[in-house]
Amino acid sequence: MATIDLIDLKKNYGNVPAVKGVNLKVADGELIVLVGPSGCGKSTLLRMVAGLETVTSGRIEIGGKDVVRAEPAERDIAMVFQNYALYPHMSVRGNLEYGLKNRGTPRGEIDRRVQDAADILEIGPLLDRKPRQLSGGQRQRVAMGRAIVREPAAFLFDEPLSNLDAKLRVQMRVEIRRLQRRLKTTSLYVTHDQLEAMTLADRLVVMNGGLVEQIGTPTEVYDRPATLFVAGFIGSPPMNLIPAASLSAGENAGTLRLGAETDIVGLRPDQLYIARPEGDVLTLAGTVELLEPVGGESHLHVQINGTEQPIILTVQGRPKLAEGDTITVYARPEDIHPFNQQTGRRTDAN
Amino acid sequence: MQTKRTIFPNKLLPYALLAPQLAVTLIFFIWPAAQAVKSSFEREDPFGFRTTFIWFENYTRLFSEPGYLNSLTKTAIFAVSVTLLSMSLSLLLAVAVNRVLKSNRAYTTLLVWPYAVAPVVVGILWWFMFNPTIGIAPYMLRGLGIDWNHRVDGNQAMILVVIAASWKQISYNFLFFVAGLQSVPQSLNEAAAIDGAGPFKRFWTIVFPLLSPTTFFLLIVNINYAMFDTFGLIDATTNGGPNQATNILVYKVYADGFLGLNIGSSAAQSVVLMLIVIALTAIQFRYIERRVQY
Repeated sequence: MATIDLIDLKKNYGNVPAVKGVNLKVADGELIVLVGPSGCGKSTLLRMVAGLETVTSGRIEIGGKDVVRAEPAERDIAMVFQNYALYPHMSVRGNLEYGLKNRGTPRGEIDRRVQDAADILEIGPLLDRKPRQLSGGQRQRVAMGRAIVREPAAFLFDEPLSNLDAKLRVQMRVEIRRLQRRLKTTSLYVTHDQLEAMTLADRLVVMNGGLVEQIGTPTEVYDRPATLFVAGFIGSPPMNLIPAASLSAGENAGTLRLGAETDIVGLRPDQLYIARPEGDVLTLAGTVELLEPVGGESHLHVQINGTEQPIILTVQGRPKLAEGDTITVYARPEDIHPFNQQTGRRTDAN
Repeated sequence: MQTKRTIFPNKLLPYALLAPQLAVTLIFFIWPAAQAVKSSFEREDPFGFRTTFIWFENYTRLFSEPGYLNSLTKTAIFAVSVTLLSMSLSLLLAVAVNRVLKSNRAYTTLLVWPYAVAPVVVGILWWFMFNPTIGIAPYMLRGLGIDWNHRVDGNQAMILVVIAASWKQISYNFLFFVAGLQSVPQSLNEAAAIDGAGPFKRFWTIVFPLLSPTTFFLLIVNINYAMFDTFGLIDATTNGGPNQATNILVYKVYADGFLGLNIGSSAAQSVVLMLIVIALTAIQFRYIERRVQY
């Protein structure tokens, strides 16, 4: 059990900055998800916390103790790797025991912990198999088991689910969440999958280009994205970003009051309507370009008059519309996310 | 999955295409080997006029001859020493190069060069360096109080040929070890580091076991090398001497056959040598198939 503090953490590869100064305070028992596109520095950040990458400048404190100069083994952390990194020549039991043996844990204690971990993860019958005899999901469990038996101060997860198929990924995601709640171990979790990030995190850290774009709970980040990048990255389908000018023209001018610096506005696909809602509304006229039924709902791609990019809206069921139909799309003024293109930031932030 | 197959109706063409390779194998490998087996059952008179078929007499004589038994022992010592020395040194070099990220290509290239040198040249090179009269090594060893003269001291002669033979083979082993090391995923090392294993422990508990297929392969190759390919080297450095101290089987085959002109005995020795290598290789392959798998 421990807190993790990152203080102005930087990492350069030669002259190329990978992480450009990150500050983060992880509370005891919290599950923090680092999310961002590939190359955003999230994995580098995690590996610096693990001690697998050197730190260019800044500090890392685990449980209040500066560990920048400490070996990975001295940091009291356990890591789950993307490819699991199970030792292929050792049995599952051997894999689980390895870290404990290296630390001189007494035999009885090792057996107890391995048994506990095997019970929690339901891998008891697999203990004498080799990793190559296991399925992807089972390997994933063993990798988790190897982290659990150590009873470390913190878990570090490096895209642990990205090698699994879609169905298994959802199942393991739920299991990781349940496990972390049960063990209450401080965790850092790296992923590029925004859905995984939203569902797992106590708090999200959205990263881009080596910098933190926003830190907040999943709902905070979804409801009030701090930057254009976050707005476009979190949510599926992504938020529609349209020039403010094309929205404030015509009859919307009275309803829509935007700050002077706002030149781009965001609208979530599920906050756009084809039937006029109650109260004040904004209207957008356009042509249906594409209709994608995705089961219970449909994604409607609409080309709004006077804009270049089509917008996407999510509608329940299957609307009776054909491609090429002209329609009016409605939005509520309070659902608008105002941004400034130049700074990339939200203009109503306070 | 479907593969497209082209069928040539010509029945002779496949044989014609195989013929050159088959001819080379037959003329230069199978025929001489068959001749050796045949000669090993015969005795030839000193002038080559008459050969008599004498069954296993060449073999029984061989195993009651102290010189041959000595040669067997020397071969065992030589092969084991060369294999251990060259494999351990090349593993050490490979691990060192694997740790260096920059310029490891340059190191690799340089370390491979000795393999391009012909065995006889290697022999002469080391003969020159260790020459008791003009060599640099004996000069330096004298400074340490060691009197080096491999022409008189059998143990020193053995050390010299072992060093020379190992030196040449290090390059080859090195290449395979580097490739083997690079196929061990970095994340295993990292996982082990987090699991509290120091660099030395990581190597012995994670990397070395994963290298075992490479190690076993090299073991076979090195033993075969030491037993067969070192003739030129011995010939150029010690001529099997002093007093038979470095007279390994392959050199004795040559010495008895071409210098002593005892064709029958020489043929019997080469057959025995062949059988030894076949047996060793078979044992190792069986062992590999059982043990080295994951």
